[in-house]
This record gives sequence, structure tokens and C-alpha cells, in this order.
Amino acid sequence: MAAPMELSCWGGDWGLPSLHPESLTVMAYAKFSGAPLTVNTINNSWSTPKADVPVLISEDTVISQPAKILNFLRKQRYNADYELSAKQGADTLAYIALLEEKLLPALLHTFWVEAENYCSVTKPWFASRIPFPLSLYLPGKMSREALNRILLTRGGPPLYSLTEVEAQIYRDAKECLNLLSKRLGTSQFFFGNTPTTLDAFVFGFLAPVYKVCFPRVQLQEHLKQLTNLCRFCDDILTCYFKLTITGHSPSGQDTADANLQKLTQLVNKESNLIEKIRLSLFLCRWMTTFVRVLSTPLGR
Amino acid sequence: MSLVAEAFMNQLAAAEPWPENAALYQQLKEDQILLSDNAASLAVQAFLQMCNLPVRVVCRANAEYMSPSGKVPFIHVGNQVVSELGPIVQFVKAKGHSLSDGLDEVQKAEMKAYMELVNNMLLTAELYLQWCDDVTVEEITHPRYGSPYPWPLNRILSYQKQWEIRRKMKAIGWAGKSLEQVLEDVDQCCQALSQRLGTQPYFFNKQPTELDALVFGHLFTILTTQLITDELSEKVKNYGNLTAFCRRIEQQYFEGHDKDGSAAASARSAKRSESDPDLNKIWSQIFTPECFCLAACQMPSSCKCVTHLGVQLVELMR
Repeated sequence: MAAPMELSCWGGDWGLPSLHPESLTVMAYAKFSGAPLTVNTINNSWSTPKADVPVLISEDTVISQPAKILNFLRKQRYNADYELSAKQGADTLAYIALLEEKLLPALLHTFWVEAENYCSVTKPWFASRIPFPLSLYLPGKMSREALNRILLTRGGPPLYSLTEVEAQIYRDAKECLNLLSKRLGTSQFFFGNTPTTLDAFVFGFLAPVYKVCFPRVQLQEHLKQLTNLCRFCDDILTCYFKLTITGHSPSGQDTADANLQKLTQLVNKESNLIEKIRLSLFLCRWMTTFVRVLSTPLGR
Repeated sequence: MSLVAEAFMNQLAAAEPWPENAALYQQLKEDQILLSDNAASLAVQAFLQMCNLPVRVVCRANAEYMSPSGKVPFIHVGNQVVSELGPIVQFVKAKGHSLSDGLDEVQKAEMKAYMELVNNMLLTAELYLQWCDDVTVEEITHPRYGSPYPWPLNRILSYQKQWEIRRKMKAIGWAGKSLEQVLEDVDQCCQALSQRLGTQPYFFNKQPTELDALVFGHLFTILTTQLITDELSEKVKNYGNLTAFCRRIEQQYFEGHDKDGSAAASARSAKRSESDPDLNKIWSQIFTPECFCLAACQMPSSCKCVTHLGVQLVELMR
């Protein structure tokens, strides 16, 4: 049979097998197609790769990027799209493009750019899975890349400020969610009763929005109103990932992780507070000088 | 644009009927316009033709700098200026003309998805080819893009644009792709479009929609533009129904209409129609790097750039 395949990807939390959309897409596709992947979640040791995650390693081939990994799996005859017609295959490609153009910017923003979410959830979560000196640098780099991507693809005139760009990307993302909801309708999966590539992609993009508890949740609020999409995510989580969730993370480690996370969040909040205090002190000092300068001529 | 501003604009738009003197601005057809801009312009022209709205095509060397979004084409209707296909579709809809009203919700979702597919793959591939493929950049893109300007401005502007596009490619992960991979993506996209179209006359059977306009704009431009190699157009030519689709729309909406709006004319016309013959002279008279932006604004009323004031200054000095 085929050589053993190992997938390195970011781990999960909040009842998700992975927090990372691309990792989640590949994991879901592997489940749908029945590909026997050994999943290595990234931990804070030096041995696991950190860039270009998810990575599939099979003998001496190393493949990154979800689309390429899915192609590789198809070549290994793990194909979830056997029953699709040519037109449905074309639809798959089109909807994936829709997700990338319309939903991805808002998703990146929610995770990596929205300051409150980034500081209290994303940064501590990812930093705790990256070895020490790198943990100070990598989350920041990922955040900058996300912001860069959003600004380069969506910024530019007539959207001059970041708030305008933000408003636009969230409007696009909500429209995209509405379109997906209408397309899904009442059927179980996008093309009938068996999950396909498109379901893997939609699940990969939606599940993190749906499950991760952020302080700022405007996209999640919208998604929760679209009950069929929520049901879609829940179905896949219970039918395809139930065993993995209970099997993979022993509860003891989970609570330890959760505690660590709370601690880091607290530290982060504290540091924010300190920053704010420092700023207000600075402002006070500045104001007093200003007042003093103003009052000098009056005194004369 | 904020929501309020947009709503306000739509309201304004709805109040007035489509005027006779509506104009579409793009770069000079023969010497300047690039593949991707021509595709975008043609898509908008096809869309307006399908809506049966007359528009006069005006070529300006500085169309890019006149556009409110920095992208061509843009239309000047009444006292409003709207750029790019998406906003133009919205704008035209506010005036009561729509091609996609007859579609149900699922079809609308599908139409939007395919439009994103074209933008995501075909448009990006065109940009990649014209700004990241070194031979094309040297032989075609730089000479054409810089053609209206004297040296060294032509080089400076070309490199500036190239740098901008390459940064964008890097951000979306296309910078590492080889030309072969990009052509493969184009092939995949064409295959998807071909399969979706099947034997129907339009993507949603009898009636054309904005998707048809967008696909026509890109495929027709790819088919009729002479590049260094034919690799790109060969990819499209493999799909008989797509080439037939392009021919059908060209015959139906462009042949026998006014010369200016004709797609065929865009491939043939040798004239620099309505471009500013004195532009180069103006350049040489007032050329300094700072002055460039000032002179680029021919339509200060629609220009939101910082140099706006400068233009008025120049006019006052005359």
C-alpha cells in the first residue's frame, strides 16, 4: 500500500480539531476521503515545522498548501469527489475562489488584526505552541502578514483608512456567508449526502469563526444567525471528528493548557493596562507643561 | 466609501435617468493599455451594452490617475464618477437596470462565486504575466505602460507599478509560482468555465448576466491580444464553447454598434482617438517629478488626490 503520511498542523481548542483554517481544511478532507493521515499537532518543541503549515510528509516528499496536499491525496486515490459531475467540480472551484476573496480577509482580520482578539486569544494561543525565543517573534510576523495581505488586496483608494477597509471586508464576508447559506439550503452537504472538497474548505473557513471564543465576534454573531451553516459545522464535528477530540487530548493536559492560557491572557491584559497607565501619565505630564506654558504670558 | 455615503450615492443615482452623454474612460487603446485593464474595460462595455445603455469610450493617457479608485475603467455619468465593474453594476442597478434580477438566490450565489473565480484566477494570472514574467515586462509592459511619458518618468512609473503588483503577488502567495503553474491555473479556470457554460448560449441560459460580461471581457482580450508567446491564448482556444461564446457576444453586442464602443475596434483601431495630442508637449514644458501628479489631473472635479490643489494652482497661473 501507499507510504505512511504524516500531517503537521496547528492543534485545536474550543472543541475544534484545529484552530487554523488551512489545517482544518486538510484534516476534514482526509476524514472525508478516508485517507489514513497521522496528525502531528505542533507543540513547543523545535522538531516540528512552523512555517507553511499544514505540511504533509510522505516518505521523502514534503508538500505544503492545502490545494497541493489535496491534489496529492487525490493522486494517492483518496478522492472525496468521485461522484461529482464535471459541472459540480467547476462549482467547487468557484466557491473556493469566493471563500478566498470574500471570507478570508475578514477571517484573517478577526484572528490576527483585531487588536483585542489578537492580544487576548490568538497571540497567547499560538505563542504557547512555539518554542521560547521564536514565540516572541512568529505571532507578530503572522499578524503583520495578515494585515499586509488585507491592505494590499483590499486597501487603496477610495478606502483610505483601516476602519473603512475593515467595514468593507466584514460587509463582504457577511454577504459571502449569506450566499453560502442560500447555496447550502436544507441539504446536509453542498453536493447532497456525501461531503466533498468544497465541504472541507467551507468547514475549514467557518468552524474557527463559529467555535473560537473571541472578545470581538461580529462575524460569529452573523454566522450564528444562519442556522443551516451552524448545523453543517456541528454535523461534521460530531460525525467526523468526535473520536479524534476525545482520543487526542487527555483532559488533564487540557485543563493545564487552559490555565496556562488564562495566565497568558491575564499577563497580556496587565501589560495593556500598564501601557495605558503609562500613556495617561505621559498625557498628564504633557498637559501640565502645556498649561504652564499657557499661563506664563498671563502671569506677566 | 462609508455606508451612508454609498446609500446617498445610490439615491442620487436613482433620481436621474441614464444620460445620452455617458462616457467610459480607459487608457489609449493602441499604445498604452495593458491586457488586464483592457479586459476590465471590455467587461464594463459589454455589461453596459447588455443593459442597452449607450456609453462613449474615451481614451486618455492618464485614465488611471483620473479614476477615483486608481483603476480603469471608470464611467462618467451625469455628475458622478464610478469605477470598476462591481460598483458600476451596483450603480446601474440603482438606476433600475439589472441583468441578474431574474435569477433565484442559489443562482445569484453561483454567479457571484464564478465572478470571484474569474477575478481570483484569470485577472491574477494576467497581472502575473504582465508584471512578473521578466520577458513580458521588458518587451511589452514597460514600453506600453510608460509610453505617454518622457524618460525618466516612464521608467519610474513602470517600476513603481511593478513593485506594487509584485508586493500584492507576494501577499497572496503567487510570487513563488512559475509561469507554468500560472498557466495551469488559467487552464483549470477555463475548464471550470467551459464546463459550467456547457452548450448554453449564456451562463444562465437565455439571458446574459454580469458574469457573461466579465468572462467575455477577459477571454476576448486574451484571445485577441498579441503577447510574446501564444501560451495564454492557446489555453483558452482549447475550449471550443468558450471561443464560440466570445464570438457570439461580440457579434451580438459589438458589431454594428457605434465605432467607439466596439470591441473589435479596440483590437483594430490605430488612432489615438480623443487622447490629448498636446499632452507630451505639456509634459516637456512643466516636467519636474513633483509636477507630474499635477499635470496628470485633467479632471480635478473627480480627483481626490492630494495634488488637487496643485491643479487649481496651475490653472490659475495660466
